[in-house]
Amino acid sequence: MSLLAELRAVLGREDVLEEPVELYVYSKDASLMRGEATAVVFPQDSAEVAEIVRVAERHGVPIVARGAGTGLAAGASPTEGGIVLSTTAMTSLEIDPENRTAWVGAGVINLDLSKAAEPFGLHFAPDPSSQSACTIGGNVANNSGGPHCLAEGSTTSHVLGLEVVLAGGEVVTLGGDAPDTPGLDLKGVIVGSEGTLGIVTRALVRLLPIEPDVRTLLMDFPDMEGAARTVSQVIAAGLVPAALELMDQRMTVAVENWLHAGLPIDSAAVLLAEVVGETVGVESQAQLIADIGRANRAKKVQIAADAAERDLLWKGRKSAFGAIAQLAPDYYLHDAVVPRTKLVETMTAVYDIADKYDLTMLNVFHAGDGNLHPLIAFDASDPEVNRRVHQAGDEIVAICLKNGGALSGEHGIGVEKRDLMRTSFSELDLDAQARLKDVFDPGRVFNPNKILPEGSRCFDFGGVRREIPDGAWV
Amino acid sequence: MPWVTDIHPTTEELNACVQCGLCLPVCPTFRLTGRETASPRGRLHAMSAVHQGLVEVDEAFASILDFCLGCRACEPVCPGLVPYGRALEGARAEIVEQVPGRGNRRRWLLGAGLGSRSLMGAATTAVSLAQRLGLTRLAPGRLRRLASGMRKLSARPPATVGHTGGSGDAGTIALLAGCIQDQWFGGVNHTAIELLERAGHRVTVPVTQTCCGALAAHDGKAAEARRLAERNVRALGSADLVVATAAGCSAHLIGYGHWADGGQAMASKTVDVTVAVARAIEEGRLPRLRGTRGPIAVQDPCHLRHGQRVVDEPRMILRAAGYEVVEIDDAALCCGAAGIYTVLQPEASERLGNQKAAQVRSTGVSRVSSANPGCEMQLRSHLGSDYVVRHPIEWYAMAVDEEFAG
Ligand SMILES: Cc1cc2nc3c(=O)[nH]c(=O)nc-3n(C[C@H](O)[C@H](O)[C@H](O)COP(=O)(O)OP(=O)(O)OC[C@H]3O[C@@H](n4cnc5c(N)ncnc54)[C@H](O)[C@@H]3O)c2cc1C
Ligand code: SF4
Ligand code: SF4
Repeated sequence: MSLLAELRAVLGREDVLEEPVELYVYSKDASLMRGEATAVVFPQDSAEVAEIVRVAERHGVPIVARGAGTGLAAGASPTEGGIVLSTTAMTSLEIDPENRTAWVGAGVINLDLSKAAEPFGLHFAPDPSSQSACTIGGNVANNSGGPHCLAEGSTTSHVLGLEVVLAGGEVVTLGGDAPDTPGLDLKGVIVGSEGTLGIVTRALVRLLPIEPDVRTLLMDFPDMEGAARTVSQVIAAGLVPAALELMDQRMTVAVENWLHAGLPIDSAAVLLAEVVGETVGVESQAQLIADIGRANRAKKVQIAADAAERDLLWKGRKSAFGAIAQLAPDYYLHDAVVPRTKLVETMTAVYDIADKYDLTMLNVFHAGDGNLHPLIAFDASDPEVNRRVHQAGDEIVAICLKNGGALSGEHGIGVEKRDLMRTSFSELDLDAQARLKDVFDPGRVFNPNKILPEGSRCFDFGGVRREIPDGAWV
Repeated sequence: MPWVTDIHPTTEELNACVQCGLCLPVCPTFRLTGRETASPRGRLHAMSAVHQGLVEVDEAFASILDFCLGCRACEPVCPGLVPYGRALEGARAEIVEQVPGRGNRRRWLLGAGLGSRSLMGAATTAVSLAQRLGLTRLAPGRLRRLASGMRKLSARPPATVGHTGGSGDAGTIALLAGCIQDQWFGGVNHTAIELLERAGHRVTVPVTQTCCGALAAHDGKAAEARRLAERNVRALGSADLVVATAAGCSAHLIGYGHWADGGQAMASKTVDVTVAVARAIEEGRLPRLRGTRGPIAVQDPCHLRHGQRVVDEPRMILRAAGYEVVEIDDAALCCGAAGIYTVLQPEASERLGNQKAAQVRSTGVSRVSSANPGCEMQLRSHLGSDYVVRHPIEWYAMAVDEEFAG
């Protein structure tokens, strides 16, 4: 039987898409890189996924898992062809309020999970800015984080167990609700593997109580140093804010031009901080942060009095993406973590690079964990500009790494950042990762040629050029 | 480029989409199916494929676009500010031109009826007769669903077209009567006239006006939509304010910039009736009532909330009348009425209608406010006769009558 016929036999005609226009719609995620799928399938559960895996193995075609397709690294683009496996029909959800856990289908939307948990006073902590759309399966596969992961950690800290379909269509449950499951932490291997080791069908996640109270502060500074020092001192003071977000002046201006929200456009840096917990605690913590800010010459300190004011303070930060979408048709974004102490130094160097190549560069980032998202807004239709953007990008990564930083996988590595892996990992590291991939996926069906650069096993350098990501979140 | 009309989706409209996917969760058809092909991003993607000459405007393309409700819930959440509704109208016009089967079905459905007062009048007499003889029960499934949502009609509804009255201290208003609204929901127009005149406006309902053209535009009949828009600009454009009582109509008038010369000028002074009435209450030209009148569940028509971003006004009007506003759905998902969608996509329409009805039922409130005739019919037909569905200005007017009578 042909591949399509077998898929139809497993799933029924309705759940297999094969029209050219339908396949085109599934040819990419939120990145720029396009692939070409042979079929799109919508399995309901792990049993159907297992059948699909066996069909793919028999025909030797890749399977690319796809959640909501909000990934920015082409992880869900079928760049090697094959079957796109959409998880959107796997939406089972069982909340266990007593144990504060939930078994969640891979296709459940992040925010839907938190909404379902709300009546029990619980929520799912990882909150990527795409949380209204992205799926739990995608969060697990990319080990996604968000503004509020500073205190609570990224997705991996909230996954207790996984139901995964492995090579040969074997369905396994890794981890579980016991505090420390015996043996190797194989669930930890799957988290962040971007669909290259198997298909996650369900996840057992930890739910946290909704914090009783919250304080949100917005401070603006005449220089980046003052803002950065405030961040360091807040953390040195033993506070663990739920969020610490920084916007530079160029970003503030771009947002203000779009939103007209009264943001302080003549300040070099705007810092947003949020603390959560019991009322007494958050009150004193907010005061402490305000004091630290003032000591570092904050010009104005605003503390939100109620939910409406809090939304207003967050509005600028949350609209950064929209402002950039307005600025230019394309963006180039890097995602790197640098030590907080090197924040200012790195930023200065990054600005210099942008100036050198005459490019519009904006910054808005998770300052608390030193996660930078230097971002260039440009028009990709001009090849000359394209070239400059590439060069600047490479130099930015180099300077981050030189300052003791690392590439962050928050947005996934996929194809977009695949070749940069060499800058972060030694040949030995890459070889080990490639061997791990071989163990899990001997037939090479699971999202081939993602994460690991070409020839990770035999060290042949050079080759594939990186594409420019668009639609970037910041 | 395989486009053949001059209103096809443009490069700018399509490039504005950065494919972030933030519109997916608010799209009712994506929610129903989980399919990218039934999502705003997917539909734009399909349009791009045509735009680049990669696929034809064929049956497969048409079925992707036909499944869209045109509810425009995808617009307010979009960081790229993609004018989705506009692009959709362009794509639908292409389908009508290029996919014979699809085009004919729409042409037949919209037929000559709307926009022709005499034909609507004849239809009204027929339906009213059928209602009285109980014949609507015998109609085929889809039509029965429609019929069960209708208000009781009188054979000769007192149309408002031709009316003029009021002092004009607060300026003149030209009222768009709306073809369906005036014949089948006449009460809303009469209430609007009464309230707006009371608020100090001079209200005219010019006889030279015609159907706003929304259905024609949404369903790809561009030439027809243009002709209707131009006629309305001539008929209504000289008043201080243009008001429509059906959210679907006001939303379309506000987009007249695309459809008629001078359309933009008229659009900039057009508001939905809820906005005009809320403004009058705000300025003290209509009363705020003191009594309390219990809860009303508020449904947001897509063309009011997503198309015009009007959210507060209907609530403010109800509160001013002493009702307690009960929310039914934060996300304001489409109820599935969506013009002729009920007939073209009965299954999806049915599921969305049931979903909306379940949301209303779960509030335990039996009075419902909806500012659009299509939604009102859909709600009534899915909720059954234990629920009363009325336009917010009707709820308000009822309270005013009560207060001043007692
Ligand atoms: C506007 C915007 C804001 C964003 N903000 C953030 C942010 O704050 N923090 C952040 O970390 N990321 C962010 N992202 C990136 C992205 O949203 C996240 O990586 C998200 O977790 C991806 O989820 P998804 O369901 O869209 O997955 P997809 O994009 O569909 O897939 C992502 C990867 O996961 C794999 N995958 C998906 N489901 C499964 C499964 N069931 N089993 C195995 N593999 C699977 C895919 O093959 C692919 O490699 C943002 C993106 C956008 C567009
Ligand atoms: S939200 Fe707007 S930009 Fe994002 S995918 Fe949808 S239409 Fe495109
Ligand atoms: S108009 Fe409504 S149904 Fe159509 S794509 Fe937008 S949200 Fe979905």
